[in-house]
Amino acid sequence: MPKTEKTSPRIASSLPEFAHPAEKTFSTILDYYGIEWEYEPRTFPLDWDENNHISEAFSPDFYLPHQDLYIELTTLRPKLVNHKNRKIRRMKELYPEIQVKLVKRREMRDLMIKFGLESEAQEIIGVAAQVSQTSKISQVDKI
Amino acid sequence: MTTLTVSRQMGSHGFEASQLAADILGYRLVYRDLINIAARRAGAPEMALVAVDELGLLNLCPDPAVCQAYHDAVSQVMHEIAGFGNAIIIGRAGHVILKDRPGVIHVRIIAPLQLRVDRIANRHHISLDCARSRIEASDRCCQRYLQRFYQVRWNDPELYDLTINTARLTSAEAASLIVNCIEKLQLESIQTHAENRENQSSHRLIAA
Repeated sequence: MPKTEKTSPRIASSLPEFAHPAEKTFSTILDYYGIEWEYEPRTFPLDWDENNHISEAFSPDFYLPHQDLYIELTTLRPKLVNHKNRKIRRMKELYPEIQVKLVKRREMRDLMIKFGLESEAQEIIGVAAQVSQTSKISQVDKI
Repeated sequence: MTTLTVSRQMGSHGFEASQLAADILGYRLVYRDLINIAARRAGAPEMALVAVDELGLLNLCPDPAVCQAYHDAVSQVMHEIAGFGNAIIIGRAGHVILKDRPGVIHVRIIAPLQLRVDRIANRHHISLDCARSRIEASDRCCQRYLQRFYQVRWNDPELYDLTINTARLTSAEAASLIVNCIEKLQLESIQTHAENRENQSSHRLIAA
């Protein structure tokens, strides 16, 4: 297994700076269900250049220690979903023992309003959120 | 070596009563551990999320084969826990999985719908409509789970040894009923055991 980088662990007790509003919403859902989580605790190198420098990496959004499971949130755009699917496939090749689950955020907002989580749902903001997600993917690609 | 299974409705104070009863009896309270262990054992950790996501917020749709592996693991883990005894198992169809296992008592904790709505609204500071939606989603999830995987009706009274309605009882009073039931059963078990031993001794004396 290639060497991975563990970044400073950020756990639910100290709220991290989320890169995307949907991630904050997702953390609220995990808190609601009482599921312990860490935000982007680890980066997995996926590709290297000729000088053996990491040219592509992947940092799943959440790690759930009790389930030993990584979670990656997706947006609604098929292009972005395909990009993440490709990364997850590559991760499975390189790190077969690591479990990663792709979670779609479809209908999350409507459901949260229905169940009384209105303030959190307000933060899932259509186009702006997707722009934010695109820039995040570009940043990760540059690692 | 008694084990209890508790099936409870959202807003019935079932969890609180179980927790108190476990404290008083010195029993292990088994709740999320069971889900996590079973999901990991089935090689499908996301099933732990599916299991707790009764409001359907996470939009997870596992493969039927994965579901089956998880349910097999739940059953296996539950029997292991019952084998150790002195445990209160909350939810996960424990009353069905351990139905025929000796030494296991099945408790159901309920409350009227409107009271449950009021309790959830107060506890989470949400509107009555939202509280009702949560409860209805939770009830639906439990009913579907039992129907789909175990072909039983949630409200079938024959599945339970003791049903407690917390409409006029506090969590502590509900816990006390559970504890009394267990202590009485244990006392009867001790008495039966003592009587059997006494009978065996007198038979030996007669034979001598």
